[in-house]
This record gives sequence, C-alpha cells and structure tokens, in this order.
Amino acid sequence: MSTTILSLEADRAAAGDLPRRPGVAPVLARRALRDARVRTIAFMYLFGLVAYVQPVGFRSAFPSLESRIAFARSFGDNKAVVLFYGKAYDLLTVGGYSAWRVGGTLAIFAAVFGVLASVRALRTEEDSGRAELVLSSIVDRRRYLTVSLAAVGATAVALGCAETAGLLAGGLPPGNSLLLVLSTVSVLWVFVGVGAVISQVASTHRLALQLGGACVGLALLVRVIADTANGAGWLRWFTPLGWAEEQRPFTGEHPLVLLLPLSFGAALLVLAVRLAQRRDIGCGILAPRERSTPRLALLSSPTAQALRGELVGLATWVGGAAVFAIIIGVLAKSTASAGLSPQLQREFAKLGTGSITTPAGYVGLSFLLFELAVPLFAVAQVSALRREESEQALETLLALPVGRYRWLSGRLALAAGGAAAVALSAALFGWIGVTASGASLSLPEMLEASVNCFAMAALFLGLAVLLFGIVPRAASAGAYVLVTLSFLWQLFGALLSLPHWALDLTPYAHLGLAPAQPFRPVPALILVLIGVVSASAGVAAFRRRDLAQA
Amino acid sequence: MDIPAIYTDRLTKSYGRTLALDGLSLTVRPGEAYGFLGPNGAGKTTTIRLLLGLHHASSGTALVFGLDSWNEPVAGHRHVAYVPGEPFLWPSLTGAESLEFLGRLHGGTDVGYRDQLIERFELDASKKVRALSKGNRQKIQLIAALATRADLLLLDEPTSGLDPLMEMAFRESVHEAKDRGQTMFLSSHELSEVEATCDRVGILRSGRLVDQGSLSELRQLSAQTIEVTFDGPAPELGRLPGVAVRATTPNSLHLEVSGELSPLLAELASHRVTSLTSRPPSLEELFLHHYDGTDEHDHP
Repeated sequence: MSTTILSLEADRAAAGDLPRRPGVAPVLARRALRDARVRTIAFMYLFGLVAYVQPVGFRSAFPSLESRIAFARSFGDNKAVVLFYGKAYDLLTVGGYSAWRVGGTLAIFAAVFGVLASVRALRTEEDSGRAELVLSSIVDRRRYLTVSLAAVGATAVALGCAETAGLLAGGLPPGNSLLLVLSTVSVLWVFVGVGAVISQVASTHRLALQLGGACVGLALLVRVIADTANGAGWLRWFTPLGWAEEQRPFTGEHPLVLLLPLSFGAALLVLAVRLAQRRDIGCGILAPRERSTPRLALLSSPTAQALRGELVGLATWVGGAAVFAIIIGVLAKSTASAGLSPQLQREFAKLGTGSITTPAGYVGLSFLLFELAVPLFAVAQVSALRREESEQALETLLALPVGRYRWLSGRLALAAGGAAAVALSAALFGWIGVTASGASLSLPEMLEASVNCFAMAALFLGLAVLLFGIVPRAASAGAYVLVTLSFLWQLFGALLSLPHWALDLTPYAHLGLAPAQPFRPVPALILVLIGVVSASAGVAAFRRRDLAQA
Repeated sequence: MDIPAIYTDRLTKSYGRTLALDGLSLTVRPGEAYGFLGPNGAGKTTTIRLLLGLHHASSGTALVFGLDSWNEPVAGHRHVAYVPGEPFLWPSLTGAESLEFLGRLHGGTDVGYRDQLIERFELDASKKVRALSKGNRQKIQLIAALATRADLLLLDEPTSGLDPLMEMAFRESVHEAKDRGQTMFLSSHELSEVEATCDRVGILRSGRLVDQGSLSELRQLSAQTIEVTFDGPAPELGRLPGVAVRATTPNSLHLEVSGELSPLLAELASHRVTSLTSRPPSLEELFLHHYDGTDEHDHP
C-alpha cells in the first residue's frame, strides 16, 4: 500500500503540481529502513552486547598477568577454540582478547546480516512484486538499487555504532576500537555485495537465501581450515572472514588489509548494478525451469507434498552437517595435548565450553555448533509453516477436507525427522572423520552427541510451535531470538561469573557436552518432554485461532 | 425439509475493534445459486472464512450442510469446493501436479471432467505455478474445485483475473454445475456475472445484509427509475415522499421512486411534462442504491 502512495507522491512531485516534496530517494530509503527495523535493532543489541561483555568479562576472569599467560599458553592454540572464534594474536591484553572474541564472533554475524539484509532489500522485494510497482514509477533501476543498498548501508552503520558503543563502554580505547569495528563492518560490506549479486542471479527469495547461506558457510569453512589445519594459514587470504582476522586490531594493526574487503565488496556491488540493468525484473539470471512433465509422487498428503518441497533443502542440511562433521573429526587428532592442570581446566570452564584438550573434548565442544545448528533447522521449519500461512496457501489447504491437527502434526513430524537426520549425519560423519585421522572415539559416544542436538532441536521446535499457535506473526522471529539468546547465554554466562541459577537459565547448561563430558540422559529427556508439551499446547492453540494473513 | 447447504444465524465477527460481520443470517438451499454482492471490505471474504472454519466467529452460528463450520470443519469440507479470491498455490508444482494434489486432498475428482475443463479453460498444465499469471493460477483453482463435483461451490470473486472468453467458460461450467444440482455461493462485485449465474442475491454492506431476494423480487421492492423531461425548467421534486433525485439537467430529472407512485404523478400533473419513461432498476442501480445513495431519502 505504501509503495503505491510513494509512486503517487513521486509522480506528483514530478508533475510539479505540489509544493516541493522530498525527492524519491528519501521516500524509498525510509520505506526500506522501516522494513528492516526489527532485524536491525535485534542485531544492534547483539553487537553491543558481545562487544561489551568480552572486555569486561576478560578483565574479571583473568585479572593478573600470570593468569593471562597461563590462559594464553594453553588456549591460544587450542584448535577447538580457534575453530569457534578464529585466530588469536594476543591473549595478554584486554584489547587483544576482545579483538579475538568480539571480532571472530561478530564477523560471522556480520556476514549473516549482510546477506540477509541485501537479499531482503533486493530479491524479496522483487519476488513479492513490490519492486515492479516501484520501478513503474519515476524511479529507474540503478537509482532503486542504489537507494535500497544505501539503506542497507545505513543499517550497517547502526550495527557499527552499537559495536563501538559496546567496546567503549567495556573500557577499550577509541582508536583501536574503531579499527576492530571496521574489521567487522568490512565483512558486512562484502556480504552485502554477495547478497546483491545473488539477488540478481537467483529468481526466488528462497533460493537467494539458500545460496547466501551457502556462501557464508563456505567462507566460514575456509576460515576454519585456515586457522586450524597446519600450514593452511595462507587460505586466510581467500575468505572475507580471514581478511577481518588479518586486520589485527589491537595487536599490531594492518589497516591496509581493509582495502581488500573494501574493493572486493565494491566490485560485487558494481557487478550487481550492472547485472540488474540488463535483466528482466521479476526474474533472475538463473532462469528456473518453467515447465516439466508431472511427477505425481509425494502428492498424497500435505506432509508428503511438504517433504517434496523440502527435499533439496533437507539434503543440503544433511550434506552440510556431514562436511563440517568430517572436518571436525579429522582435526580432532591434532588438538592440543592432554594433561592440563586442574587449575587450567577451571580457566577453560570460564569460557562456558567445558574441557577441550583431548580429541573427545574437541569434538564435544565442536558439537556445540550442531547443538546450535540443528535447533535452527527445526525453527526454520516452523518459519516455513508460518510463511505458508501468511501467503495463504494454507487457506487453500484447510478449505479442503484436511484438518488443522492433521496438517500441523504431519509437518511437525517432518521437522523432527529432518532434525534427527541432520543430527545423525553430524554424528556419523564426525565419527568417520575421527576414525580416519586415527583418534579413537566410539560410535555410541558420537551418537550421544547427536541425541543432545536432537533434544535441543525438540525443545526449540516445541517452543516455536507454541509461539506459532499463540502469536503467529511474531513466531518466526521470536523462535530465532530464543535459540540465539540461549546459546549466547551459555557462551557468555560463565565468563561473566554469573551465579549458578542464572547460568542454569539456558537449556544448554543442562546437557553434558558428549563426548567430552558424560552424556546426561535425564536432562536430555526433560528437554524433549518440555518440547513435546509446548508443541501440544501450540497445536491446541493453533486449532483455536483464526488463520492470520501477513 | 432439506438441510440447508449454508445456514448462518446472527453470525458476527470482529477483528479487534473492527466489526467485519454484523449479525448475518442467511440460508442457501441445496441446488440454489446465491450471489453474494458487496463492495471491497463489506465482509464477503470474512463470511466465507467463517463458513470454512478458517476464522472463528465472535458469535452466532455457521453451518454447512448442517455441520458446524468451526467444530466439524473437515466433515463439512467434504461437501465443499472453495476457490479463493487470491490464487495462492505452491510455486514449485506444475499445473498438473497442483490439480493432482488438490484432487487427492479433496478425496474425489472426476478425472474425465477435469481434463475437459483443462481444455475448456485452455490451461497449460505443464507450466510451473510460479511462471503463471494470476488468471492462470485462478484457472487451476477453478478447475480443481469444479472437477470435485462438490455439493457446494464456494467461490470468492473467482473470475477477477479471467479474460472475457474465460469468463464465458466459467459461466458455462457454473451452469453445468447447477444442472447437476450443485449449490453455488458466489461472492462478487461483478454484477453482470451474478445476474447471469445466480437465482438469488444478497447485498452486504459494512458487514450487514441490507437486502436479499430473487432478482425480480429485489426489483419490485426497490425503487423504480423514472426519467422526466419538462417543457421548461425542471421543478424541485426531491421533497416528495419516496422520491430521490439522482441526476438533474436544466429541464429533465432522473428520479428513483420507492413505494407509491401517486404522489409523484399528482405533482407532475401540474407541470408541463414532454416525456416520461419508467423502468425497473438494473442490478447496478440496486447496488448503488444500497451503497452510495442510501441516505438520499433522508437528505434530499
């Protein structure tokens, strides 16, 4: 609706029969910013929080130089930790530590945000037909694209400001803080470019997000290999996440490296604008197949038809989990040797990640990644349900002799089955990797790790369904926030020396990090039960409410 | 006595503070073709969503073949085929796959008739839904609905994306359905379509049923249209009881008269009338009467 108003305003302004109004660009930009505001504010909190917690936490957890030396000696080269946070250059100063933890974490979030923001601003708008409407007004393509990307740029600046505020509040000096922020924002910049190019290539919003996710995953994979495999450090120059590390804020800065992401991102954006000018609006360069001979398999029920649509996505998840798990498994052997003093073990515990100096420890910590990823997969399924509802395909389904219970329970079974498949794939291929590298971990131990992932997924699936039943319009975002917050709580809580009851607020605190720690069946079972109860309540609520359009 | 195909009693729905449907009482008998008229936002789609149990009524009753819409939706849906106003389907399925899917979910499809409809509507069934225009997606839903031979067709502005040729195909199919004894509930603001296909009409305004009846009944009950031309300036007639002035030129009047004609005729007798025509109102005029001009009787 507002786009119509906008084009009308623009037309009138052009005709000159109104007092001078602000140009088209600000109107478009305001619209784009409004669309992005919830996501931007959520990420601003995240950036500010991470930036503030790390320096403050480090100062309180490792107050003396001795404790920092001990920490650095054991920790700096630990592959499992490096896998999570990237390469550390200096662990003796608050700045060096913060650069490592803040920079490493936020670079990944920045990449995700960048792709998401630019795909939403470009491909989603086009997919929905809104772009066509805007382009039918007096706005030309280049201007439209530029304004949309400028609005994304504005959100990037907002995230940068939030990170700066967090670092300054955490007591770090402004100059170096700025360089750290620049390294994060440079990643964002590159991935905005990536998203912009993908938006030209992919014809649907969904495909664009999948390709974007694959790019972030690939960048992360290259960084992980560069940082953890012996002699592969040069690979760091081949991933934007590595460029952020090479800028080395607080630890002998190399600000010139900034030119690399800057120019690469600019090149991508120029490419996107070029591509946009020569293609048909509403289509991508990768033209999807428009016709095919009918395949009538998997059309017998809504669940079967959903499986049909999700097969490629599910295969990608299972395959991605397999690749990551194999790499983790292969690297397990080369992790730091065992035999740390109990005191150091305690220091590790402050990272909220448990003991991590044996292959089992390393795999256990790494599986925390899957304990995040598998619930995200489950939440994504609920998010797909919600999309089906808001796009009114669900209305067509439920006007047929298909009951709400049958529809929702079938889809939940599908989501749970998918989550189990991803978790099993991770365990199985992790075990294959470990065994191939010559370390010894039994398959049952690995399966315990996958049960942990599944329990976590069941919990968040249930909570997401509950949200879907009660507050459908906020369900998707709400569930993602729940998973992310719970995970970050686990990572930061210990470092901040929170009291025990506060640490226990996150479900992650209750699982044994198998195979590093003994598997704890009772908490896992309780998480699954909470998930089942919430899901039942969610289904009941869904059966009692109106279908809710967008 | 037959169980009505559709029965609602004081059906009311509000969304927050917005009252979308206000005490709708309506009966559609089996085999009847009912035209549900109203402008955008009058509550037509809300009514259909309540009948399908997609939304929960704030109060009142909605029954489809005697089955409660909210409590027994699936049982009711076995008798129903629905065509939504916005043809949302699954983008990655082709037309043929969509028809198969919808048919299987409904539980019964007359395959021969479906193929006949595909031909009649000139649907390219091998194309994926994402590559189809709105009209073509609407054809898929129409074909799927008609091919089920369901007892009740619930059609929500089903031809809004169709070209005139396809509208003719639609009318043909609807007449076939009527001949087979199927009930039709057609929500529309296309009066010619309703006039061509429906036996009975209800007019909805701001969530209330303001008029209902067969077309001939409505015409009789409603105002007649009278055009009078005078030899000289047209007199002021708007204050006469039951007379509303629709349009004026210097020496002619376009009047709508409800009720008795005699006061008007008596008044006209004292003027020099050169021509006078009277005709029953078209559906357009009935419609407009209920929408823009309702209050002209009160504010001449």
